[in-house]
Amino acid sequence: MSRRLWLGLAALGVGVAVLALPAQSASAHPLGNLSVNQALALNLYPNRVDVAAVIDLAELPTLQERAAVAVEGSTRYNARICQQLARDLTVRLNGRRLVWTVRPTGFEYRPGSAGLHTTRVTCALSAHADLAAASTVDVTNGYRADRIGWRELTATGHGVHPVDPPIPARSVTDELRAYPTDLLGSPLDQRSARLRVDPGDGPAALGPKTHLQRGDPVSRWIASADRTLERLVGDRLTPLVGVLAVALALALGAGHAALPGHGKTVMAAYLAGRHGRPRDALVVGAVVTFTHTGGVLVLGLLLTTAAGLAGEVVLSWLGVASGVLVAALGVAMLLTALRRRAPAHDHAHDHRHGHDHQHGHDHRHHTHRDHHHPHETGPGRRLGLVGMGVAGGLVPSPSALVVLLGAIGLGHTAFGVLLVAAYGVGMAGTLTAAGLLLIRLRDRWTARPHRSLTRLAGLIPAGSAALVLCVGLGLAGRAAMALG
Amino acid sequence: MVRYRIVIVGLAVLLVGGGSVIGLRQGSDRVIAATPAAVTPIDWLGDSIARAQQRLRDVPGDYDTWAALGGAYLERARVSADPSYYPKAEGALRRSLTIHPDGNATALIGLGALANARHDFAAARDLAQRALRIDAYSADAYGVLADAQTQLGNAAAATSAAQRMLDVRPGLAAYARASYDLEQHGRLAESESLMRRALSAAVDPADIAFCRYQLGELAWQTGRLDAASTEYAAGRAADPSYLPLLAGQAKLAAALGRPGEALAGYADLTARYPAPTYLIDYADLLRAVGQPARADEQLGLAAAALRLFTANGGTDNLGAAQLALAQDRPADAVRAARREWSRRHFADVADVLGWALHEAGSNTQALPYARRASALGARNAGYLFHLGMIETSLGKKGDARRDLRAALALNPHFSPRYAPLAQAALSRLGVR
Repeated sequence: MSRRLWLGLAALGVGVAVLALPAQSASAHPLGNLSVNQALALNLYPNRVDVAAVIDLAELPTLQERAAVAVEGSTRYNARICQQLARDLTVRLNGRRLVWTVRPTGFEYRPGSAGLHTTRVTCALSAHADLAAASTVDVTNGYRADRIGWRELTATGHGVHPVDPPIPARSVTDELRAYPTDLLGSPLDQRSARLRVDPGDGPAALGPKTHLQRGDPVSRWIASADRTLERLVGDRLTPLVGVLAVALALALGAGHAALPGHGKTVMAAYLAGRHGRPRDALVVGAVVTFTHTGGVLVLGLLLTTAAGLAGEVVLSWLGVASGVLVAALGVAMLLTALRRRAPAHDHAHDHRHGHDHQHGHDHRHHTHRDHHHPHETGPGRRLGLVGMGVAGGLVPSPSALVVLLGAIGLGHTAFGVLLVAAYGVGMAGTLTAAGLLLIRLRDRWTARPHRSLTRLAGLIPAGSAALVLCVGLGLAGRAAMALG
Repeated sequence: MVRYRIVIVGLAVLLVGGGSVIGLRQGSDRVIAATPAAVTPIDWLGDSIARAQQRLRDVPGDYDTWAALGGAYLERARVSADPSYYPKAEGALRRSLTIHPDGNATALIGLGALANARHDFAAARDLAQRALRIDAYSADAYGVLADAQTQLGNAAAATSAAQRMLDVRPGLAAYARASYDLEQHGRLAESESLMRRALSAAVDPADIAFCRYQLGELAWQTGRLDAASTEYAAGRAADPSYLPLLAGQAKLAAALGRPGEALAGYADLTARYPAPTYLIDYADLLRAVGQPARADEQLGLAAAALRLFTANGGTDNLGAAQLALAQDRPADAVRAARREWSRRHFADVADVLGWALHEAGSNTQALPYARRASALGARNAGYLFHLGMIETSLGKKGDARRDLRAALALNPHFSPRYAPLAQAALSRLGVR
């Protein structure tokens, strides 16, 4: 019974279940081949309201309107669609309807499934509006209300801010480029919203879903660079764009690794506790690159081939795995450190404590251990380093994933893979640099013949092992919480 | 002093604790706000979907709710004609089965219903039977089984499944299926009275629209255009977005000699939902009013829609055969219809295969299939017209006269394209 067999397999884990699903209805267009999808981004200024609109026609509507495009030409078609949108999109400021100035901004065919095409039409609407005082903005999108499709509304303030906005500030689909495949999400059908708008850049100016834009300048820069890269991938590929995108991916990888997370603390503790050498930092960096690139590629492949696989869930599970791995390393380090301490805890550092031998519980073990000291080598040590790298690279960076999926969606798969690799190299660069810096610092510190410091140095292995263990448990716990 | 300290510490705990609770709350609110949710007023199905989604976010291992959610997604797909819900339904149902592989009848029934929706009737039958081995009193499983057996052409099995469903849980779903089963056997009066009972059991606007549409179709089949018009209008009053009603009204407008209204209706319908069957009907009408170029346009669209259906892993040989017939490619139509016939012996398939063979010039081969279409006693003007034309070609004048007359007596407007042909053929045969 083959059905029984795959059910059994499916029970083994998420990955297997996904692969075992029959590969049917892998619709290239996420919302059905007859949908008309819309994303309207409201930008609120003290003196005006702008709307950046994207209309995405799936294969059948594209075919239905192809004749019209052929007759009137894409420019006039673009203009007509935008006029219709402006007619059907009602925005009222304190009850008074705004009057749009319409600018068609783009029309293009994109490859769809079964050799057909989809259409992407963009428009820019703008209207004078006095938002200098607190006001109410009502949005109603009645454009092609009878068509099946994804409809999203977003709102961002510039010098004004929406208070507790019911709609997000940033598109969840990256402006209809990547639709979520979460089984627990219904297609978005946001046709109207009421916004309370106050003057000034308020704390809630960015609304929900914008955690990337908040915080320190570094994360903000990274967030904007993310979007730039995503846009570059969407553009037509020229050599210049390619080089720019790769450079940006390198920088972004480095930047992401510089943000909290990615096990830098762990690596630092590990290198400090294990008498790491510069070569070790390089090994960790290389493993991070490999793991991250491979992880993103595998996950990207899964997400593009399997409808209904929730990306966040997979990321959370990987987070748990990464945390558990780190914790396991911590345990291993702790065991090693304790074993070493018990008979002659700092035998290797100075032999003044030779009398400690009488406390030895396990003399044979101690002597055996001596062969490995002070610079541990061999399989155990290398395994630890590799584990550290795997833990650092196991959780794919969401922005690298987005870039990859975007590139696949546009048929630039190879380019996407290259960018992801560049991403990994950038991450590895930062992590390696951090590691080298740490080693240098540690060497300078331990080189000083200060007695109290020397004693402290003796505590480093156990202390750092405990730290690694704690961080690992913390990482796993945090990821598990996200799983709910 | 100690008391002060206790009070202060208590307050601090309260503040910090309260702050963190509020923080948590806001955190979860944000998650909810960020996840898309359909916002339609008074949306019973949408509500139950949203509740199931929330429940599964809290308790992801609840296989029963996963199966229920899959069923609700299917229902959404049926009501809104939005096929993007099918993969979601499949994902939810399979998740349910993955969590609880043994004895999970609800998930099997859902997968069976999904297989029916995708025209994989043999798989649907097997799934329904597996579900019945787990729960022999599941009305829903009998429903899936009845649908599958009907489409597979196993009339006796279909009738008994529909009867079991009526026994186990008489209600809207059971009445509607029993009504359809009776219709297949040409017992139109009983079929209609059961559909009326279904209507009286319907509460949801979409269900009312469904029953009204079926009643309209039953009236249409016997040429009662006024009654059909009343039913379609009542259906649209209940749920204006139920698309089959638009097709019914357009068809009716053509029959009542209002081609402008009919064309506008089809244009509106196919703009909203370019399904091959609607496009083929639209093309027939365009051809009948002398607009062959626009007719070809619609058929080109229908071909693309079928290609997409195939690209998405579906198979619709019956649709392919009908399209080939509409595009005057009888050899292709025969091939497609034969493929479908090898999968299932349903009356519609027999009818299309017979007509395709006739168009390809093989009338001797065509005759048994055309007879097979009406073998259960179905009273369908289209079937009778095809049979009569095949008999005409074979020189069986008496039979041809009888069947063509019966077709036109049943519904003189059965097709804008073919009803005039039936008329002409009958007058050529002469009155006897």
